[in-house]
Amino acid sequence: NATRGTLGDCQPCPCPAGATCAVVIKTNEVVCTNCPSGTTGKRCELCDDGFFGDPLGQNGPVRACRACQCNGNTDPNAVGNCNRENGECLKCIYNTDGFFCDRCKDGYYGNALAPSPADKCKPCSCSPLGTVDQQTSCSQVTGQCPCLPNVAQRDCSACLPGFFNLQSGSGCERCNCNPIGSSS
Amino acid sequence: RPTPHVVLPPGTHLLFAQSGRIDHIPMEDYNMKKEEAKAVLHLPGKVIIGVAYDCKEKMIYWTDITSPSISKASIDGGEPTAVITSGLSSPEGIAIDHLGRTMFWTDSMNDCIEVASLDGAQRRVLINTDLVNPRAIITDPVNGNLYWADWNREAPKIETSYMDGSNRRVLVQSDLMLPNALTYDPQTSLLCWADAGTHKMECMNPGRGQRSTVLEGIHYPFGITTFGKNIYYTDWKRNAVVEVDHYAEQESDEFLPQKRANVYGITTAYAQCLPGQNYCSVN
Repeated sequence: NATRGTLGDCQPCPCPAGATCAVVIKTNEVVCTNCPSGTTGKRCELCDDGFFGDPLGQNGPVRACRACQCNGNTDPNAVGNCNRENGECLKCIYNTDGFFCDRCKDGYYGNALAPSPADKCKPCSCSPLGTVDQQTSCSQVTGQCPCLPNVAQRDCSACLPGFFNLQSGSGCERCNCNPIGSSS
Repeated sequence: RPTPHVVLPPGTHLLFAQSGRIDHIPMEDYNMKKEEAKAVLHLPGKVIIGVAYDCKEKMIYWTDITSPSISKASIDGGEPTAVITSGLSSPEGIAIDHLGRTMFWTDSMNDCIEVASLDGAQRRVLINTDLVNPRAIITDPVNGNLYWADWNREAPKIETSYMDGSNRRVLVQSDLMLPNALTYDPQTSLLCWADAGTHKMECMNPGRGQRSTVLEGIHYPFGITTFGKNIYYTDWKRNAVVEVDHYAEQESDEFLPQKRANVYGITTAYAQCLPGQNYCSVN
């Protein structure tokens, strides 16, 4: 406040080099304006949207702002793709999930880090008749659904050879064919 | 093509968001008074996406994705007041019906369009089906229409409905990629949009359906607003507010904020409400 007429009227901005500052009239609070490229916040302590880090080292060593690291599993046209402080990915796409969009989301399997979206995460599509408790999730890597007794296939959609009655919903039953009269 | 004669009230501004602040650019005739551009609101730490203006109470409304919320403040530099703070995930576009005293917004994570009165009461979900990445939303209060765009990369579209959510229809589906920005000019009855994928700015009369290209080869539009003969868009490529002369079909000016960071929503803050009334304002 340069109108008071004392030596301490004008003080240096509490901002990184290059930034200017302004006093919010109502609250007398000092905020930095024109923070260095990629940073924002009252003291330029935050990263711009789409970036993360700790540019002033408020919570440990200084970490310069860098682009969200989400394994290519966010959309550059989206806003708020990652947490600006810890980098946690918030808008994973292609059916991925996890801190860095690095795994398939529940109900999907495959390799979230595959280069092509088509090769990333496929739906488990577990057969409700052959799956324990009609679960919809499967092994993240192999895609194997948890099958009921004597049920086979990745998606638990068929009985093991020599078993029948998948429709029962409680697993397949032995055929009990007479070996003498059966062809296989 | 002839330039239509449109009388605009003096004292009009452009308002646009740049992460932690909302700036204004005063307008004189059809020109940006760039040297007088300055921040009207400092909101450090926030990431402001959508901006709307209520011409009646002279209030700015905005969406923030950091602590997902909708807030308002007087354009004369009043204290920010939160209006909606719960049940939001990624609120993006916001639009105001200054006649009906309501606001509409999109949420790209909840995949819905909601409405509430301007104080945040009487809130309800208007649309929550067939939305993937809804962003831009705009009102036509005089005719009671709502318009929004969904930049879903699989099936981008521009849709419309009445302001109660009924009579929903797809307006545009072909030759769209990332329709981020949408605006409606009540004086010409033109709905205009800018697409960051096709790099085109286009307009159509929603009633007649004629579609025409204003400009091709634009960079990376995020927000758009009309003002008389000009259309202004925020550009993620140049971090600028770009002026396009609708009738000359060319870029005629640009404003580069001092801070080099993404620019988001933009709206025109008319000095006075444009004349008109609708059913909700009389009943």
